[in-house]
Amino acid sequence: MEEIKKGGIFAIPELQNVRINIGEIIEEEEEWEPMGPHPMPRIATLRDWDFKLLNRYKPFYAPLCDMCCLCTYGKCDLTGNKKGACGIRMDAQQGRIVLLACLIGCSAHCAHGRHLLHDMINKFGRDVPIDFGPKVNIEAPLTRLVCGIKPKTIGDYDKVFSYIEEQIVQLADALHTGQEGSYMDFESKTLHMGMLDSLSKEAADILQIACYGMPTSFAGDGPDVPLVDVGIGTIDTNKPVIIVIGHNVPPAADIGVYLTENRLDDKVELGGICCTSIDTTRVYNKAKVVSALGRQLRVLRAGIADVVVIDEQCIRADVLELCQHTHSPMIATNDKAMHGLVDRTDDDPDKIVDDLVSGRVLGVVILEPDQVGEVAVRTALQVDKKRKGLSYILSDAEFTRYVNDCIQCGSCTLACPNGLRIGKANKSAAAGNVKPLADLFDICVGCGRCEQVCKKHIPIVDVVTKAAYPQLKAEKGKMRVGRGPVWDSEIRDVGAPLVLGTIPGIIAPIGCGNYPNGTKDAWLIVKEFAERNYIVTLTGCMAIDCALWKDEEGKTLYEAHHGGFDAGGVLNIGSCVSNAHIHDAAIKVASIFAGRPLRGNYEEIADYILSRVGACGVAWGAMSQKAASIATGFNRLGVPAVVGPHGVKYRRAFMGRPDIKEDWTLIDATDGSKVYVEPGPQDLLVACETVEEAMPMMAKLCIRPSDTDRGRSIKLTHYIDLSLKYLNTYPPDWHLFVRTASDLPIATRNELLKKLEDEQSWKIDWKTKKIVEGPIRAYNPSFNPTNLERLIRRKK
Amino acid sequence: MVMEIPFDVANIAGPEIGGTAPPEVIGSYITSAKRPLLVVGSELLRGDFFLDIAIEIGKKGIPIAATGHSMKGFVEKEYTENVTYYNLHELTNCLRDPNWKGLDGGGNYDFVIFYGILYYYASQMLSCIKNFATEPLMRAVSIDQYYHPNARMSFTNISPRMEEEYKDMLRKLVGSIKR
Repeated sequence: MEEIKKGGIFAIPELQNVRINIGEIIEEEEEWEPMGPHPMPRIATLRDWDFKLLNRYKPFYAPLCDMCCLCTYGKCDLTGNKKGACGIRMDAQQGRIVLLACLIGCSAHCAHGRHLLHDMINKFGRDVPIDFGPKVNIEAPLTRLVCGIKPKTIGDYDKVFSYIEEQIVQLADALHTGQEGSYMDFESKTLHMGMLDSLSKEAADILQIACYGMPTSFAGDGPDVPLVDVGIGTIDTNKPVIIVIGHNVPPAADIGVYLTENRLDDKVELGGICCTSIDTTRVYNKAKVVSALGRQLRVLRAGIADVVVIDEQCIRADVLELCQHTHSPMIATNDKAMHGLVDRTDDDPDKIVDDLVSGRVLGVVILEPDQVGEVAVRTALQVDKKRKGLSYILSDAEFTRYVNDCIQCGSCTLACPNGLRIGKANKSAAAGNVKPLADLFDICVGCGRCEQVCKKHIPIVDVVTKAAYPQLKAEKGKMRVGRGPVWDSEIRDVGAPLVLGTIPGIIAPIGCGNYPNGTKDAWLIVKEFAERNYIVTLTGCMAIDCALWKDEEGKTLYEAHHGGFDAGGVLNIGSCVSNAHIHDAAIKVASIFAGRPLRGNYEEIADYILSRVGACGVAWGAMSQKAASIATGFNRLGVPAVVGPHGVKYRRAFMGRPDIKEDWTLIDATDGSKVYVEPGPQDLLVACETVEEAMPMMAKLCIRPSDTDRGRSIKLTHYIDLSLKYLNTYPPDWHLFVRTASDLPIATRNELLKKLEDEQSWKIDWKTKKIVEGPIRAYNPSFNPTNLERLIRRKK
Repeated sequence: MVMEIPFDVANIAGPEIGGTAPPEVIGSYITSAKRPLLVVGSELLRGDFFLDIAIEIGKKGIPIAATGHSMKGFVEKEYTENVTYYNLHELTNCLRDPNWKGLDGGGNYDFVIFYGILYYYASQMLSCIKNFATEPLMRAVSIDQYYHPNARMSFTNISPRMEEEYKDMLRKLVGSIKR
């Protein structure tokens, strides 16, 4: 008997057509850590933890639609928290819709991961080791934490995905009419979905790191991983150009392999949009990042691509129409996004290339990633010749005609998510000043809704692109390649300063490009916090967008800052799925620094993170359902997130009420005593109107009850300073975070003590410069905060 | 009857949508409030005139919650007497609670005036008030240059070309608030 395929398929030479498939072989498990209380939690397992969060951070709802139209009883008008025909109230209906959004988001990450697992097992077998080098011993913190599994090979992820998939189905069932009726329970389920989402992301990134050799901690890898080109201006359009769009990297990776093997890597440009572009740069060092999600429409309309290759997620639904307009053949590579094209997976590549080049077909589906590279590259080489000399940027005459056609009716403004005054800019351009139009380019989120309503059929997106074309050609930034996991050794170095507060926090800019005021805000956020010695960990579109801007010396933030997980670092962790490593960093602080057991122990670790790890996510342009499930996953783990103003359309937030003292009761695990604490973190999910407002908010949300006095004084310094800088005023609540005089910044201590005396009527002993009366609580350096009674060591 | 179009054209929440009204009507509606609150946002900073209008309303004894980074303008104008910075999301979270003590400890408000706030952010917060600040009923109006269907009353959409007319409306509104 001989094994003919890895994974246990055997043939018996004497018996033709007989195959023996040996399924799972259960090996004796290594004793790596005793199992914790909650391995593979089900819907209700962590409900008590969720309710602890939800009672402090009560769900807040702002309906985007006052009706329910999910069943044939409806439509039901739920305005004013009325009940619908099925008995559901508006608040529960909002919880239900948020659960639905997170279901979509989590399913995207899970299905992406499962798809990768299939492809990777098919290509490499089940036994690819999960080994991230000498500096990453805890290879899969979320997998260990949630599932109680220490994965050794990629095949071990079968069990992980099976668990996630079962939970997703159970949670989806709760959405049906006549199931859940409590908004609190809908939110508990949503938090469960968020946790599954984070686990799915970790699994997906681990699979691609393990199989493609993406950067980890082997010699020569991070933290200062190489820089790659970012921006539309970095693409050499004199060469054939392939643009990949989406999130699932195997087809793009195959293009890189084909280019390398055929020595075409200097002859063909491989660029990408959105997370596939980030992951392509992790496997193919000549790949470029053309743009984040927000510019997809404009990149495609500009006709840069000779071939467009899509995989999954965040692809425009009209991508094929856009490709047709610019004579760019399209290859769809994933069964989740086939756009009506014919599946040619089993066809002869020569025939496929011929059909694409001749224009007989607009595009094809190729579902086997290893067949994509050849077809994409050969097609690009030939299509490039046919498209030479064609331009898809408006001519000067066309531009002039269109801006003069505009009647300033305002329809575009009413259709624009950001309410941009396009007509006014057109009028300016018609009078000879194109700057107002060019300035719209970065603020525009690139949706194209304006064109749908234009009474004069002006291609507004093209008009804005034309006005901004000179600056687009000059758009050349640098981004650090996604570095993957934070090293255990880095956690050892910064664990104490993070928990004690002397590194003021981790700021995690993540997510999409639905910004209220352009990409520069992404840059501003990163710059402000990196320069203040926070650790800034980026993923996804914000990692790309912040690379488009430069300082006075012409350096991007990735060039100006180191890439290590330490004070002042600016880390590109990677794509959307890589942001699980930010969860992982917080988990590793609890595990490595504090020695808390991980295995099946989610509740205790989340409790630790909530009270001690000063981290705050920021999804300034959050748009997708994935962003909703990502934020919710952070929230269940005890990490707050700030969203931009469009984020209020997610309908739900989690905010605390500092004025309700009882909400801020913690237990001192040392003796079981109850302690009223300052509201840190005050919110788990909150939106800010402007980036100026978001700056002090993020600093505030890094404050934790466990901060030492030195740490608190550093955090307060930044909170107050950012408020003075951007709001021109002291934060009205800064005094809530003062426990003792040594919590106050040294440089302004006397001034602040005086303010406490004058404005808050606190009693100050001016001889000793100590606070005698006033704070919510006295500073206790041995305070051991927890929300979990079971962690009390010795009851009073 | 001609219905006004929401400023964000697809922002049609459901059967209960607010009406449009001229400034004098909104002004007298505000006058009828027992405990009104002016909630202002960062768009106020686009010109001195708009900030001054807020200050005039503030001087009529209506407290001001300065959201976004609008506080900056009040500090520069040296008018901070009854102005408090508050994040709009957090503020609305309090407004929906009848037991909230308010900015001055005197209890929750029965009437909120939204002004100078990013359209879609304001719309969602007005939606929360409409749907959940119902017992007792909190009335919410907008005096921005947008039609806000989630407010009980607001102006029509006013084109930037009509900025002078909008300014006149604000002047009339302030004049018609009697306190």
